[in-house]
Amino acid sequence: MPVQPQRALYNLANRLIFRATRNRLPSHATTDSTETLLQHAEARLSANERTIARLQTDLDASLHFHRGMVILTSLRLLSVEATKNRDISFRSWRLLDVEDLVLEELGATAEVHLVQAGELEYAWRVITGRVREADAFLARFKEQQRILRSESAALQKALDGNGGGDEFDDDATTTGPRGSPLIRLLKFALPWRSLLVLGFLLTLAHVGAQMITPWLTMDLVDNVLIPLQSATDRVHVKHVYRFAAFLAGAAVLTWMLNWAKTFVVARLAERVTSRMRRETFEHLQRLSLTYFNKKRTGDLISRIGSDTDHISLFISINLIEFLSDSLFFFALAGILIWKNPLLAIAALGPAPVVGWLVNKVRTHLRGGFAAASRAWSAMNSVLTDVIPGVRVVKAFAQEQREIDRFRAADKHIFDTNDRVNRTWSFFTPMIELLTDAGLITVWAVGAWAVAHDRITVGVLTGFVFYIYRFYGRLESMSRFLASAQRASASAHRIFEVLDVQPDMPVNDGRKKIGRIRGEIEFKGVKLRHGSRQVIKGIDLKIQPGEMIGLVGPSGAGKTTIVNLACRFFDVTEGAVLVDGTDIREIDVEDYRRNLGLVLQEPYLFFGTIAENIAYGKPQATRAEIIAAARAARAHDFILKQPDGYDSMVGERGQQLSGGERQRISIARALLIDPALLILDEATSAVDTETEREIQEALDHLVKGRTTIAIAHRLGTLRKANRLIVMEDGRIVETGTHDVLLAHSGTYARLHQAMMEVTHR
Amino acid sequence: MSAAFDLSTDTSGRLVFVDPAGTRHQNVRPLRMFPLTEPNHWISLQDASGREVGCIEDPSKLSEAQLTALRMALAKRDFVPVIRTIHRVARAADGHEWQVTTDRGPTKFRTENDEAIQSLGGARFVIIDDHNTRYLIPNVEDLDRDSRRKLERYY
Repeated sequence: MPVQPQRALYNLANRLIFRATRNRLPSHATTDSTETLLQHAEARLSANERTIARLQTDLDASLHFHRGMVILTSLRLLSVEATKNRDISFRSWRLLDVEDLVLEELGATAEVHLVQAGELEYAWRVITGRVREADAFLARFKEQQRILRSESAALQKALDGNGGGDEFDDDATTTGPRGSPLIRLLKFALPWRSLLVLGFLLTLAHVGAQMITPWLTMDLVDNVLIPLQSATDRVHVKHVYRFAAFLAGAAVLTWMLNWAKTFVVARLAERVTSRMRRETFEHLQRLSLTYFNKKRTGDLISRIGSDTDHISLFISINLIEFLSDSLFFFALAGILIWKNPLLAIAALGPAPVVGWLVNKVRTHLRGGFAAASRAWSAMNSVLTDVIPGVRVVKAFAQEQREIDRFRAADKHIFDTNDRVNRTWSFFTPMIELLTDAGLITVWAVGAWAVAHDRITVGVLTGFVFYIYRFYGRLESMSRFLASAQRASASAHRIFEVLDVQPDMPVNDGRKKIGRIRGEIEFKGVKLRHGSRQVIKGIDLKIQPGEMIGLVGPSGAGKTTIVNLACRFFDVTEGAVLVDGTDIREIDVEDYRRNLGLVLQEPYLFFGTIAENIAYGKPQATRAEIIAAARAARAHDFILKQPDGYDSMVGERGQQLSGGERQRISIARALLIDPALLILDEATSAVDTETEREIQEALDHLVKGRTTIAIAHRLGTLRKANRLIVMEDGRIVETGTHDVLLAHSGTYARLHQAMMEVTHR
Repeated sequence: MSAAFDLSTDTSGRLVFVDPAGTRHQNVRPLRMFPLTEPNHWISLQDASGREVGCIEDPSKLSEAQLTALRMALAKRDFVPVIRTIHRVARAADGHEWQVTTDRGPTKFRTENDEAIQSLGGARFVIIDDHNTRYLIPNVEDLDRDSRRKLERYY
């Protein structure tokens, strides 16, 4: 079942909003009740029953917000909802008894009707945001009912046939694996297990080495310095040299281990974040157009860019530091207690206070960093908006407005960071104060102990050394805290992207078809975007090699038809058949290899002209590239470029004119020799002279291929076998140019309007 | 390429092309289609008005005389210095100033932005200066250590 974008988005929003506050609020009321409902329902499942899908309902009969849930199991349909007196009402129907589930749209809400024996048995109400989800639920229901019906003949199978199936977690409505982002981060490091272990061992060794110096100091003071000063004993100078040598050795060892540790860990961090960036980007590439339409580019860029950077910094510097600090802590506490419990207790006294402080500040920081990351995204969004659109900005003299917009976004970052800084600018000096307190306590208790001969001066010196390091480490732990919370917020933002499941599951269609003949059939196709019905029932069969032209006013659904043919979306109802096979059963990538797409605004990538022409077929030979360019009437102007085919086109092809870019994109489509060609307003962005050139190129392109062309300039369609006139999501007329003109319907009107414009 | 066409040099040193149909084109300009990635193949021949009159995929299949004529004509319009040593790359007000030694001698040039240095795959680089002259680095590894260090900062 495809993931419902609304649902996914809702989840994202939910997690974004409640994540930050989760620590302080007991639990959010709505999630709580949903969970409770779910538990109730699951408690009632029989042993051979499993959950297949669930649908959250939002409203009661009087359209007040009221949570409920419909659950589709392998055998039954369950309905749970909370009643007024906080009980839970529960109903169930056997799937085989249910005649039908029908979705009724009622403006801003929708109802799911359970029909039994021709009558309305029960109804659930949802908000329109959930309509697609409800649709999918209905589809799952019908599928399960079909399975049951075919199985009911052999009842035996129904009892054990479903065993071992996937569990709730595989349900598309769940949001994927959960768990602390930082723990999940560790999983990303698993392929470099050995580096991880090595880093850890080096850290251990480094901590050990750090312990040596204070240890030696104790001996040095007691056995060398004090005897020297009191001159009661004679100390051989050899001892001094020995201590000096040991101290130097310990310093060098610490330095070397520190170096090795830092190197290994930085290496690990780079690998983990690179994998993260890669996987996030790869995942993005698999997501559907719908997702990209909803997301802001700048936000995605900052997730892949700066959020991974935070994580890298965290792993390479702070995580390992924290690890070694914690180890240091315990080792130190051990040594201190062993040497002198009394002094140890005095010295470590302020530590619990620090612990408490750390915990208090942590929750503050996490919310703050999440907000800072979001603010950063918002600023990136402004940048990705304004920089590519700079021509429009200048043309309308709106520089100041954009400056203000940027300033607002920047101020937002500034403010959120200010808030975070306020918290931890207090925190770090506080730690320092506690360090001093710890030291004073040690001196005081130590002086007392020395006076009473409980300890030697050497031990006290050693203690002071240890404690000094101890609290010094506490300060770095406070830094860890900030960076851990920042990394956690960042990791969360990245996992948010990774957890979005492609709502066009690539793996559901496994059928490899190779090259198609090019027969496309739309069979009772309907499509809904949210609550809007975009396509209201299209039946159309396109023969192999036929060229059809789609005409009609803007918003008639022409581009949507093309998007369906490309399988950028899936139909809500009906089917698109390719060579007689449902498009959903075909491997998407395999299918798209048959597609040639020429768009109104041809998108060229940064690279040379040759690379752009060969975009769909990177292994194309130079002869093929040249042939395609010649056929697209692009060869001549390409040779006028300073580097011929090796010329860079610049970002989005800005160095070429619109017509030139279009001809390169035609060459690009030609090169892959597509079986199905889509021309989406290919000529509307250029002047008539260029249009003629492009037209020549196009004529070459359409020969012998199934072509679907959208055009406002009806001249582009003169070669079309059939013109399909669309209006408001429906086909209103079909026929050739002449027939349609004679019919004097919508087409005749459009034609008339165009003639008036061009011949004025 | 069939032998049905001919290339020669006329008395004033201009290239003459006789196409397979027998038409004679005076003062033909040879043009490399892939001057950076495949300079030795795919030569387009254009007449004075910039129209393509012929195309040579593999010049090595030409006769000795034809090849010489083509080479001479190409050499005249060929100016892609190959950088041997980079002496200095300095940040200027807008872009960078380069001091280099090329196979055609020492020179100075300016680039405008980072896009002026383009990777052509592998260790091949081209630097385009503000006058659109191309400077080629066929293999970064062949540069001396100092030059490489200086270049490394920019790609």
